[in-house]
Amino acid sequence: MRRHDTIAATLLSLTHAFGTALVSEQVARRPGLLQAFDPRVRVIGLFALVLAVILSHRISVIVALFVVAVLLAVLSQVNLKSLAIRVWLMVLLFTSVIALPSVFLTPGDPIVTFPAGALHITAQGVTTAVLLITRVETAVTLTTLLVLTTPWMQILKALRAFRIPQEVVMMLAMTHRYIFLLAETAAQMFESRQSRTVGVIAHSAARHMTTRTGGVLLSKSVELSNDVFLAMQSRGFRGDAKTLSEFRMRSLDYIGLLSFLLVGVVAVWVGRA
Amino acid sequence: MTAPIFEAKQVSFSYEAIPALRDLSLSMEAGRSLALVGANGSGKSTLLRLLDALCFPSSGSISFSGNPLTPERLRADGYDLWFRRRVALLFQNPDVQLFNPTVFDEVAFGPLQLGWASTEVIARVNSMLETMVISHLRDRAPYRLSAGEKKRVALASVIVLDPEVLLLDEPTSMLDPRSQSQLIDLVQNWKGTSKTVITSTHQLEIVEDIAERVVVLEQGSVAADGTPSEILSNGELLLRANLVHAHRHKHGDMVHSHPHLHSHARHEH
Amino acid sequence: MHIPDGYLSPSTCAALYASAGVGWYAALRRVKCVFTTRLIPLISVFAAFSFVLMMFNLPLPGGTTGHAIGVTIASIILGPSGAILSISIAVAIQALFFGDGGITTLGANCFNMAIVGSLMAYVTYRLVAAGAAISSRRRVVAAAIAGYLAANTAAFVAAVEFGIQPLFFHNARGVPLYAPYPLSVAIPAMMIGHLAVAGIAEAVIAAGLVAYLQVADPLLLGNTSGLSDSATSTPVFVPQKSLRKLWLTVALLMLLTPLGILAGGTAWGEWSMSQVSAAADQKAIPTTSHDQAQPSSPPAGLQRLCSLWTAPIPNYAPEFVKSPRFGYLLSAMFGVGMLMAFSLVIQRILQRRRTAGQP
Repeated sequence: MRRHDTIAATLLSLTHAFGTALVSEQVARRPGLLQAFDPRVRVIGLFALVLAVILSHRISVIVALFVVAVLLAVLSQVNLKSLAIRVWLMVLLFTSVIALPSVFLTPGDPIVTFPAGALHITAQGVTTAVLLITRVETAVTLTTLLVLTTPWMQILKALRAFRIPQEVVMMLAMTHRYIFLLAETAAQMFESRQSRTVGVIAHSAARHMTTRTGGVLLSKSVELSNDVFLAMQSRGFRGDAKTLSEFRMRSLDYIGLLSFLLVGVVAVWVGRA
Repeated sequence: MTAPIFEAKQVSFSYEAIPALRDLSLSMEAGRSLALVGANGSGKSTLLRLLDALCFPSSGSISFSGNPLTPERLRADGYDLWFRRRVALLFQNPDVQLFNPTVFDEVAFGPLQLGWASTEVIARVNSMLETMVISHLRDRAPYRLSAGEKKRVALASVIVLDPEVLLLDEPTSMLDPRSQSQLIDLVQNWKGTSKTVITSTHQLEIVEDIAERVVVLEQGSVAADGTPSEILSNGELLLRANLVHAHRHKHGDMVHSHPHLHSHARHEH
Repeated sequence: MHIPDGYLSPSTCAALYASAGVGWYAALRRVKCVFTTRLIPLISVFAAFSFVLMMFNLPLPGGTTGHAIGVTIASIILGPSGAILSISIAVAIQALFFGDGGITTLGANCFNMAIVGSLMAYVTYRLVAAGAAISSRRRVVAAAIAGYLAANTAAFVAAVEFGIQPLFFHNARGVPLYAPYPLSVAIPAMMIGHLAVAGIAEAVIAAGLVAYLQVADPLLLGNTSGLSDSATSTPVFVPQKSLRKLWLTVALLMLLTPLGILAGGTAWGEWSMSQVSAAADQKAIPTTSHDQAQPSSPPAGLQRLCSLWTAPIPNYAPEFVKSPRFGYLLSAMFGVGMLMAFSLVIQRILQRRRTAGQP
């Protein structure tokens, strides 16, 4: 039925946000390798590896980095099967669709020629497609590891340590917190509208419903922001927020940091043009 | 007779074109507890926000311990920080008040803004979490809390500074019965101490527990001011102010109607 | 349109991070001085709103469904600086927390959607709505046009970012190292989706929300009509002269896209070498030899520009691209950009003369 297509799809994405949050909280609590490092080490280290993935020109190096990522996942008690289904498979499908035409379109040395002569698969085409897919898979795996093992608040505190302006970090924190509230509010609005309508909703009616829900959400958002502003003022906020700094590096963290950077540098050096 | 801690004189306030308070005058003594009752839209929240100097009257004046609450006065020599430490407002909607990533951060926010030292902040927050029995929630994000937990965290985050004045905006709204009674217990503990407590509510049944004085608001002005027993026995007033309803109901074999509210208070005829 | 890691080369990522950084810095400074204490809750909640809006599956006229970015309504309500910050924050959270979009490409994504998108949306909206009453239908139409142009401009810039990858970043054997499609493929591929669907989604949301606000809360639309407003909602006053600055920025952006390509001279030499060596690419050689059909008298300088566009395109490109018309389209953009910049400069000079002449 038409009615369920768009509204239901919207509801699904809205609730998906919560699912992601819950999963990442669970993983962050496990006593794995990545979880043991200072959040700053995780942020720098995994980012360095992603950079190495982007800087390397050789597929072999990128695959090696992928293996490193999988190893980190295992050591951090991340469920590989769920990683495979939620991340690897999705990325593979999506990127393959994008990369497939390049197999035919990239000029170079043909390795397969189709009978009509109009279409060839070139070696360069295959290489570029594989290169793209492995890069994306490895990078996404590394980013996912960071997100799964590090609660949002810790990522933000790590960012603060990297001299990102305090206002920006505060905004990132607050936005994250209120995304869930607004998503829940929007979901409730959609559910209540859905339950009040009988029969199939026409496409254009669904559009109006969605837009109107967006409008109400907008009004609520503005009201929320005004009230939050007052609440912050009421607690003494005058514009420059002060926070506690809590991180301390231990020897384990330095070892971890050096290891990440070493792997990254080796990968870039071996994988250079 | 000591000077009143709050003095509102002929205060008017409008949101855009809609008037919320009309020519309201009210005087509040320190160390007392007041229940501000009125139907939704009668101006209770607005008054509390004005008392907390979050907005300012379009006409009339409000003063705190003899100091006029105006934007200029607040800006002068750090008066606002002094004021914020002494007066705390608990908002009706806890989501508005929980804007930090975790419960610990939330309770720590106030002390940090007022410039307390880190060690002091940490110690004070920990003890506050214990007092409010929410230590187990310290690393929890606000969206993962129940309504009752949110209220407790919000309350913790405003009383951590040990304010002299507590302004509570519908503190029992959206709470289940048990959380409600827990909150009422807390407010009752303050009654009789040196703290000044002003609670706004439309739930008449809790008024006697939480306050010695009741002020009834109707359409932005004071309609009545007296003790709980005086106000609660004035059926007509309550009906007019839309705080109670009247409909036909049964007592045993009798069927009649009179102003009442559904509560566990017995009423006999 | 969130570009994942791996599609853009490190230097492209770095360049776009730098450009985005400039935009962020300018936006933050401006918003801080306008909003002071209100900045943090306002931008945050708006970013959260945009984020949630992006999740809406919007049924569009014609039967398709699409997703909007929300950059247009953000620009209309907060002004371009506020929109730059809000959308950037939403995009950053999508990347860092939900894995939607890469972290090396975060600068690029913010540049495309938050910066280019909001500038384009704001400038278009102001121009089309110019002085109309807040409740007038013209504002709804202006929002729709602004949304459509903003989404498509953002997509176009992304397409250019993709399209230049094989041009500059390939190895000695001719393997593209990042996004493998040249401009001739990347641009149509990206634009078709956005012209037909995503642009419409953005237009529908922008227009729908403006229409809603005209009834529900017209004060929020106050800033972009040039009226200074002391409302309790969102007091943003963007004075008239900054509109000209924004025009200049848009003009510069349009100028930069072709100029960026012009800079890479040696890459084309390599391209044609690998083409020549491959037997199947013999047809590419005539393409590189500038003997396209002569159009009706273009200026010589523009002619050279066109051939620079069409020369490196190999034989697999669709027909219309091999014609000089495609090159002219891009040169026309360059020309318009130049004219805009030129007219702004003239205006500036005239204004200075006028104020100098006054006592």
